[in-house]
Amino acid sequence: MAVDVPETVTTALADQQVEGRVCLEAGAGVGNTTAGLLAAGAKRVYAVTNDADHAATVRDRVDDKNADRVAVIEADLRATPLATDSVDLVTAHGLCNVLPPTELDAIAAELTRIAKPDSRLVVDDYAVPPADAAVNRLFALENAAARVVDGRPALTFYPPAVLAAVFADHHWTVERRKALLDPVPWTEAHLDAHAEVVRAYAAALPDSLGEPLTAMADDLVAAIGSERTGTMYSLAFRLADM
Amino acid sequence: METRALGDTGQESTVLTFGSIALNWLEQEGANQLIELVLDHGVNHFDVAPTYGDAELKLGPKLRQYRDDIFLGCKTQEREYEGAARKIDRSLDRLGIDTIDLYQIHGLEYEDELDTITADGGALDAIREAKAAGKIDHIGLTSHGNPKLILDAIDRIDDLETVMFPLNPVVAGKDGDEYDYEAVLERCDAEGIGTLGIKAFAKGSWPSTDELPEADRPYANWYEPVDTPEAIRERFDFAAAQGLDTVVSPGDPKLVAMVLDAASRSEGMDEARQRTVIEEARHDDSPVPEQLHH
Repeated sequence: MAVDVPETVTTALADQQVEGRVCLEAGAGVGNTTAGLLAAGAKRVYAVTNDADHAATVRDRVDDKNADRVAVIEADLRATPLATDSVDLVTAHGLCNVLPPTELDAIAAELTRIAKPDSRLVVDDYAVPPADAAVNRLFALENAAARVVDGRPALTFYPPAVLAAVFADHHWTVERRKALLDPVPWTEAHLDAHAEVVRAYAAALPDSLGEPLTAMADDLVAAIGSERTGTMYSLAFRLADM
Repeated sequence: METRALGDTGQESTVLTFGSIALNWLEQEGANQLIELVLDHGVNHFDVAPTYGDAELKLGPKLRQYRDDIFLGCKTQEREYEGAARKIDRSLDRLGIDTIDLYQIHGLEYEDELDTITADGGALDAIREAKAAGKIDHIGLTSHGNPKLILDAIDRIDDLETVMFPLNPVVAGKDGDEYDYEAVLERCDAEGIGTLGIKAFAKGSWPSTDELPEADRPYANWYEPVDTPEAIRERFDFAAAQGLDTVVSPGDPKLVAMVLDAASRSEGMDEARQRTVIEEARHDDSPVPEQLHH
C-alpha cells in the first residue's frame, strides 16, 4: 500500500488480533481499513462495497505483492456471496452513518452469518454531532436531497449504544469502547465530499430543484470552511460462541 | 515549566528548548531581552550552532551571566577530525565559555557521512578528545533526513547521548520508513538516549521563490510556521505528547513569546485529540480520493 493508513484505523485495530486472520471490511470506501488490515498481517481481506468507483479505487490501492490477500467484492451488504462462518474479524469503519436505520438489522444479520463463532467485530463511527455544529446544516441539506431523490436519508449518526443494541440482537457483546477522534476534524476536503453528494443528487432532479440545492451546498461549504466538532468512537465486539 | 530527564545525561531539561538561532535576527539589546524572556519562563536548555549567523556571539553575554542556569547544546557540520576540533574551539571562543554541555553532530543526511564521522580521523575523534579535555560534557546527533540513519548512528556510536529530529502531525501521520520517527523514539527510550524535537511548528513549505521571493517571506524559518496562539499551543502540546524529552522553539524571534506561553500553560494532549490533529493534517495533502469519513 503506497498510501498511509489513517490513525483512526490503526488505533481501532491496535488491540485486535489481525495477523493470520481472515477479515471482512464492510463498506470498503477507498480501502483505508483494507490497507490497515493488510499492514497488520491479515491472512486475507474481503473488501465489500456496493460502489463500483470505490471497488476500483481499492483495487488500485492494493500493491501487487498483496493482491493475493485481497478480494474486492461488489455486493449489497444485506446479501453477500461470502460463505457462512468464513471470517474471523469484521470491520465497519465509518460505514453505519451512511446506512439508513431500516437497513441496519439486515446488515448486522448478514455480517453475523459470515462471521465464525467467537469472531470479532470493530465498528467505528460518529457520535451524533452537537446541536450547534455548523456541519449539521450541510448534513441536513444532504439528507433532504437524498430523501427527495431516493426516499431515504444519506446520513444517520448513531449513538454507540444504538449500534451496540443492534448487534446485541445478533449475539455480539461489546468488549471495549474508545474515542478515535475528539473532536472530529471536518476538513474542507470532507465538507466538499459531502457537498459532492448533494451535487450528485441535485443532478438527478429538474434544474429548478437541483440548481438551488447545489448553490446551497456550495454556500454552506464556503461558509463553514472547516470545523472541529463531535467525536468518532470505536466499539469492539465478540460474537457468542454458539 | 515542566522538566523531563534528557535521556540518561543527568540533565533535567525544560520541555521547551530555546532555539537560539532566533537571536541571529536581533540586535544585541533585543537578543539580551529575548534571552531574559526565555529565562523568565524557566527554560533551562538552549540550542545553538556556529552556522546560525551571529547567534553564538549574541548569546554569549547573557549565557555567561547565567551560565549555571543554562544547559547549552551546540553543533558541528564538520565530518572530519580537524574541522570538528577547530569548530569546537571556535564555538567556545565565540560563546565565551569553557564547556559546552551537549555537542551534536549536525544534520546527518547520508550513510557515508556516518562512515567518515566514525572512522579514524573522523569528527567523533575530535569530539571525544574534547570531552576528555572537559570542553564538552555530552555527545549528541541531529538529523533532518532519515530515521533509519539515526538508528544506524545509535548502533555505531556507543557514547551517543541525545538525538534531535523533526516531529509534527504531518510527519506523525505518514507511514513510510522515511517518516518512522516512532521507531527512533522507542529505541531512544529503551537505551536512555535523550530526544529533542524540531519542526514542531512547521505548517508547510514556503511557496516557490517565483511566487514569493525569499526576501519577502514574513518569517525567518526554513519553512512556513504556524503563527496563531491556538495553532502554536496545539503544535507544542502535540509534540510534547509524542514522548520527546524536549521541543525546540522555532527559529523566528517573533514566534518565541507565543511558544513560551504555550509551553508554560501546556496541560498535555490526550490521544483522541492527537489523532484529530494528525487526521486534519493528513487531509491537508491527501493522495487518496476524498471520502465522507475519517
